[in-house]
Amino acid sequence: MTRGLGASWLRTFLLQASFNYDRMVGVGWAWAVEPLLRGLPGGRDGKAYRAAMRRAVRFFNAHPYLAGMAVGAVARAERDGLPADQVERLRHALVGPLGSVGDKLIWAGAMPAAVGLGLLVAAQISPVAGAVVFLLGYNAVHLTLRWWALREGWRRGKDVSRALTAKGIKRGMRVLGPIGALLVGLAIPVLGGWLARDYVLETKLSIALVGALGVAFAQWILPAFRGLRFGLVAAAVALLVGWLS
Amino acid sequence: MTPEWGWLVVWGTVVGLDLVSVGQFMLARPLVAGTVAGAILGDPLAGGTVGAILELFALDVLPIGGVRYPDYGVGAVAAAATAAGAPGALGTGLAVCAGLVVAYVGEWMMFLIRQANTRDVRRHRDALDAGTPGAVTAFHLRGLARDVARSAALTVGGLALAWAVYRWPPIAEVRGAVLVGIVVIGAGLGAATAGVLRAVGQTVTVRWFGLGLIVGVIWTLSQ
Repeated sequence: MTRGLGASWLRTFLLQASFNYDRMVGVGWAWAVEPLLRGLPGGRDGKAYRAAMRRAVRFFNAHPYLAGMAVGAVARAERDGLPADQVERLRHALVGPLGSVGDKLIWAGAMPAAVGLGLLVAAQISPVAGAVVFLLGYNAVHLTLRWWALREGWRRGKDVSRALTAKGIKRGMRVLGPIGALLVGLAIPVLGGWLARDYVLETKLSIALVGALGVAFAQWILPAFRGLRFGLVAAAVALLVGWLS
Repeated sequence: MTPEWGWLVVWGTVVGLDLVSVGQFMLARPLVAGTVAGAILGDPLAGGTVGAILELFALDVLPIGGVRYPDYGVGAVAAAATAAGAPGALGTGLAVCAGLVVAYVGEWMMFLIRQANTRDVRRHRDALDAGTPGAVTAFHLRGLARDVARSAALTVGGLALAWAVYRWPPIAEVRGAVLVGIVVIGAGLGAATAGVLRAVGQTVTVRWFGLGLIVGVIWTLSQ
């Protein structure tokens, strides 16, 4: 294994620790790529290393699980001696695709699929089983993707864009979204039934009514007043009514 | 303060860090955070139940770009601490309320540390632009330290809230507590549905969601 690859991989897990509104994860990204840059001519005291670090520390943002692909590709490009402007262009060119592919693959695919499965298991077997199934299923994808991204970036260098159009990625983006939507769709009523298992029919209908009201507020009445905010206000009203009655 | 509450502070801090800064192994998902917190207190079912309700709220969040979002993980730890040992439905509603408040405060605290990181990056612009490895590492570790402090403070605050809510008189007053339980379950189901609709509303995927809902309703009614 290439020296520095393992250290860089571990550092990608802390990529977002210094997230800021100026450079987003740029500094964290530089921290992650640094072990791979030590192999540049002259080592840590060399001109190439210092110049590469100066370029690395600028603005960067991407999906955290796929940012390793840019780490590997840019480090490889630096090691291959690509001109500075080409390295810069490569780094900037990866921001958008790594963000959009990661968002679609993970946040809109693997995540809802794993959550939906976890909630179904929680309702049908036990919350402990649900949490375990969720963690194992999700992290099998997560950890594989992180390692694959860094390896592919390092292997392909400036031609890394081909990795993003690989069959597996395309298929993942095509199927994970519908699977996630299906599983979450299944989980919502099943979990609702489990949570309301001790209530009488009228109470169950009241729960469904509050749920429908929540959807109506989020979709049509006041979209900004959704999720957490709707939950907080609705709970405060219920507390007040319950207290006064 | 029992040793279990000490472990809850440790767990809540780990969960808070997992949200963004360290790993994103999804320990911060409320189902996981709440179940483990409940297990620490000897009541994984109560922790898992409030965690599952908060998980519904978390499905409303699409964490893309630099968006900041509620810290439902630490919220679930506080909710589990409120619900553990409380009798059934009496604890659930108020516990989820506590969890929602903590999640909201966590979102606000996340914004503050990102602002602090931004001020820090501007203050050390020259050293960072020079690409000095020491400056890069120091800046990055300061950002991490800020999130450790945020997560720990949020957890301690959340557990203090849990302690207060657990001893609050209305928890023993059946009608109010049950009503809050009904409302938070309904609001959670609504949040999850609206969140998915917002994410997939204009695409073919919405049909899969609809199919899942229909099958799920039939499944639930048949039981």
